[in-house]
Amino acid sequence: MDLPAIYSRSRLVLALVYVFAGLVGILVFFPFVWMVLTSLKTETEALRIPVVWLPDRPTLAAYVTMWLRKNYATYFFNSAVVSLTTAVISTLLGAMAGYGFSRFALRGRGVLMGLVLISQMLPGVLVVGPYFKILSAVGLYDTRTGLIIAFLTICLPFATWMLKGFIDGVPRELDEAAMVDGCSRWRIFVGIVLPLIRPGMVATMLFAFLLAWGDLLWVSTLTHSEGMVTVTLAIARTVLEFYVNWPELMAGALMGGFPGIVLYLLMQRWLVAGLTAGAIKQ
Amino acid sequence: MNIVRGRPAPASHGFRARGRAACLPRLRDAHLGYVFIAPTLLLLGVVLAYPAYESVRLSLSPRGGGGVTLVQYVGLVQSDLFRQVVWQTAVFVTASVTAHVVLGLAVALVLNRPLWGRTGFRILALLPWVVPDVVAGIIWKWILNPLYGVLNDALARLGLIAHPVEWLTNPSLVLFSVILANVWRGFPFVMIIFLAGLQSIPTELYEAAAIDGAGTLQRFRHVTLPGLRRVFIVALALDTIWETRRFGLVQAMTGGGPGTLSEVLSTQVFKQYFQFFKFEFASAMAIAMTGLLLFVSIPYVRMIVREE
Repeated sequence: MDLPAIYSRSRLVLALVYVFAGLVGILVFFPFVWMVLTSLKTETEALRIPVVWLPDRPTLAAYVTMWLRKNYATYFFNSAVVSLTTAVISTLLGAMAGYGFSRFALRGRGVLMGLVLISQMLPGVLVVGPYFKILSAVGLYDTRTGLIIAFLTICLPFATWMLKGFIDGVPRELDEAAMVDGCSRWRIFVGIVLPLIRPGMVATMLFAFLLAWGDLLWVSTLTHSEGMVTVTLAIARTVLEFYVNWPELMAGALMGGFPGIVLYLLMQRWLVAGLTAGAIKQ
Repeated sequence: MNIVRGRPAPASHGFRARGRAACLPRLRDAHLGYVFIAPTLLLLGVVLAYPAYESVRLSLSPRGGGGVTLVQYVGLVQSDLFRQVVWQTAVFVTASVTAHVVLGLAVALVLNRPLWGRTGFRILALLPWVVPDVVAGIIWKWILNPLYGVLNDALARLGLIAHPVEWLTNPSLVLFSVILANVWRGFPFVMIIFLAGLQSIPTELYEAAAIDGAGTLQRFRHVTLPGLRRVFIVALALDTIWETRRFGLVQAMTGGGPGTLSEVLSTQVFKQYFQFFKFEFASAMAIAMTGLLLFVSIPYVRMIVREE
């Protein structure tokens, strides 16, 4: 790499840079390491004073307990169904809306887009109360469908904005050429635009998934029965109990973070590109 | 995820081969535009605008009666608890965002150099941002545990403390501890945004500045900072909005306690609504919070509108 003009080439500076990066790395990763180490301990070992850093005899007992005795399979299923559905629907609807905003001279376009933008800034607690009543009234309280609709309110505005940015990047000439060939807008959208913004769709889907998977506010207000609990709600409930089994809680938290971590590591290229595209677009 | 692969027709078996017959009948173009945005607008109207309107209505209605009253807002202004929570939210947001920006910029500057392991570091650094809020809160609750927590143990081994520190129960420390966890969680995202911004600054600008005899600090002030202006606004606005709304981390870590000392606006509105069932009061508080959020997002919105 040659960026000679930007940086000093002194060895001292370079050493300092590495030391700083190393310290930040430890700061970032240690909590994860500690979570893994704790989850591999027995409860007695986790509660020993002074603190035992490495488990004497690592055990997976905490994971087994969470998965087999504590209904984690159900919670995972709920989280997965709700988050995946939300991610797919918000990406598809968001892409449609993004295309509509990007390519049509609509009356009131500015106002409508402003409304979508502002809806991103509303705090969840503003709407979660009335939402509870509405869902109860239509019989969707304590259902996965109710949760999905709720998550769409968070994810859809974001998806629309993000995907509109990507669609803006697709040259209009492509649309026009296809229209000359007699193709409908819908076919242009599905056949030309969507394939070209695939990275943006992956990024949006992943982002929506992470938002839905990580939510606590909506799941704690819109569900109550054991069969509807999601992973995050289960974790939050455990910690509020009088007695906490820390290795089990750490195992649960680790598993709760796991799908997001794996999906992110598989698709980080698109997520980072998607999130930063909006920020640095000139 | 195979929906991504399966759903959109690949461009290769495209529209040309099928010709006109395969195409939908043409509506007038403008009408068609509304068809594309209709599902999103309808959904947002039903599930966002209507509840928001309900909250406004609720905040203006006297308990159990008709008519319009400002009594909830008067109560809000007079409430010591509300003032305390606004103050704590302000501290939480300001400290978090400042730390995110300072730390994020510093690390981004370091990682903008060609370094060994830079790409891997960049990928892994975003992990705290990827895990759910609740998970971040739980990790730190365990690290900060006064008896069994590893932070106290490490500080004691280094000889920095003589007695265990009560990170989450000491009234003057608890907000700091929650902010600490939130800094860990949030700075990697700001860092990534800054890094992207740094890499979009043309190298020629630095070379030209160097030829003009500008030192490192001058190049930072006159090339780097102006080049990051846009990125800076985006990061600042988005992060401020997100941190003001932050719920799960605080809820999982302290539940707002001890007492109400780590309570922020979202956790407090939640409690007023679903624990104390003071719907009107909670709504008024939520409206106040929304007003605050819309106010801080003005620069961001203005920038976007200008581009449109």
